[in-house]
Amino acid sequence: MTKRQLGILFILVGTGAALASFALDLLGGGQFGGIGPAQQKALLAAGFVVLVGVTLLPLGGKPA
Amino acid sequence: MSEPTAVSPPHKILDTILTWLPRILIGLALLAFIGYLVVYVIYAVQLFRFPFDYDQGEGFELMDTILFSRGEWPYRNNDVYPFYSSNYPPLFHVIIVPLVWLFGPQYWTGRLVSFLGTLITAVAIGYAVQRVGKRWWISAISGLAFLASNYVYHVGPLFRQHMFMVMFETLAVVLLAVTYDREERDGRRHNKMLLGVMVLLLAAGYTKQLAYATVAAVFLFMFLREPLRAIKWAIPFAAVTGLIFIWINWSTDGYWFLNTVTANINPFVPGQAEGLFRQWFRLHTVLTVTAVLYAIYQLYFERISPYTVWFGVAVINSITAGKWGAGESYFATAIAASCILTGLLFSRALNWAQRHNTDPAWTFTIHKPVLSLPKDSPTRPEPAEGFTIHNFLGKYLYTAVLLLIPLLFLIQANKVFHMPTHTPALAAIARALGKPAEVYIAPQTSCSAPRDPERIPYVDSAGVSLLGRPPNAQDTAAGEQITAAILAGDTAAFSEDAGFNLRAVRDVVTNPTQLLNLYNNNQVDLTEMLAMLDNQAFDTIILRAQFYPPPVLDSIGQQYETTELVQMNGFVYCIMRPRGGNQ
Repeated sequence: MTKRQLGILFILVGTGAALASFALDLLGGGQFGGIGPAQQKALLAAGFVVLVGVTLLPLGGKPA
Repeated sequence: MSEPTAVSPPHKILDTILTWLPRILIGLALLAFIGYLVVYVIYAVQLFRFPFDYDQGEGFELMDTILFSRGEWPYRNNDVYPFYSSNYPPLFHVIIVPLVWLFGPQYWTGRLVSFLGTLITAVAIGYAVQRVGKRWWISAISGLAFLASNYVYHVGPLFRQHMFMVMFETLAVVLLAVTYDREERDGRRHNKMLLGVMVLLLAAGYTKQLAYATVAAVFLFMFLREPLRAIKWAIPFAAVTGLIFIWINWSTDGYWFLNTVTANINPFVPGQAEGLFRQWFRLHTVLTVTAVLYAIYQLYFERISPYTVWFGVAVINSITAGKWGAGESYFATAIAASCILTGLLFSRALNWAQRHNTDPAWTFTIHKPVLSLPKDSPTRPEPAEGFTIHNFLGKYLYTAVLLLIPLLFLIQANKVFHMPTHTPALAAIARALGKPAEVYIAPQTSCSAPRDPERIPYVDSAGVSLLGRPPNAQDTAAGEQITAAILAGDTAAFSEDAGFNLRAVRDVVTNPTQLLNLYNNNQVDLTEMLAMLDNQAFDTIILRAQFYPPPVLDSIGQQYETTELVQMNGFVYCIMRPRGGNQ
């Protein structure tokens, strides 16, 4: 796997995690209306993962 | 008579200082971490001699071992007497079985095995660092730093399976790294070694379920290197794991699944997770920051090692420490990984600095506008616009790194400070280090009135902790007193600790946290238990933290009354007898 592919993987995982935190609301999880404190932290972490993924993209075909 | 300065130019004195200062700091760092090893051994030996529960779960792990030694499964029906079941996989207990056959149901058996497991982990960490870094003192301190962690110290010599799982995890990841390095060096597969990794992972998982994170890390690393190979190994691994799981579940009529999976679905307490993360970082700042820096370096500038993947996954998985019933020990895997990464980064930094010490590319040029030397200076090498100091940066860079690394290790040593101070010598050492020689902690009460703080001869930078203080003769006497209370009656006690019934050679009745977990998941029928309590079928009730499900506590409150309070290991135990004297 290359650094670019790893970056894409990070972006997919981060995006998936963010979507999952919203999906929990749809399934009736959580105690807060809107975005709760735990959800905020999860979104922040997911955003960070996406950001790391983006920074890996320019590294191209170097082995991960 | 000449002045010393006349024969010892300032730079010579500086060189002498810079030669000896790193050695002194390295010696101090080694001394600090060897000191922690001594403290760890003191604590462990005291625990080996203590014949009751020090941590509430220990007696139940001993009970599991006893059941295995009889050829019985500990995964049982909690609805019927003695209302006991285990919620942990079997390997740790099975390994201790021969010791129980030889020496009987003794607490020291499991404590010794767990303690030895932590020593093996430390050696594995040291080996992982040494084989790459080749700096014996960094390797030694990296291994010792694991044992010096407050968390490892607290839990390592207990009859708990957690640290034994960490041992298998560490061995698996180190063997994985060795395997891949050897494959790259030899240009051929070493599948037998990889099979060894899989066996170690299986052992970790069947020691404690939490090992799933390390299993994930190993396969993630393999996927990064060769996705197809990772998949090819993952399928048989999952199949073997699943087949063992199905076999145990079939052998126990489904109680394996109920007790090890369903009963472990506990509520998540965000505050607990956040508090433990903060504490972990505060206590292990140097190890964690260094590991993170090395992980970032690998992420962007070279291939990611198995240790980096392991560290990342372990840190993320440490969030599970926020589950009810979980705790600080859930960080042990991340700590082991951080010790390896720290050792590797420090070794590499030192080796790099040493290499550049003689590298002409690292000469340092100072131009005239910045600094000019007297025209008659004998040290002036070039009559040009400036002068070049050969190897100036290289020489001092190496020395600086050589100074910095032991200094960072000393900072880490100070952060994890913990020491029993029950002997004058230990108390004197604590004072000499500028630490308090005692703390005041109120005994933990749950079924009795709060008590005033008491002097505790144990200091711990983790804060108020009931783990870590070596048990003493008073604690043993207290355990014997509670056992005597059981022996005064005819039945086994309905007890939150297993140790008293084991000491009295009576049935171990109930595993309270297991019952509570099952109750919270609507997976236990308390009818028989409540009927026995309502009929005062037990002569003695022993409560410590009131972990039982609410209906059980209600029934106890209605049918029994506290007759005696006994303090052991900082907990106040309530000994209760049937109301109305119906014994």
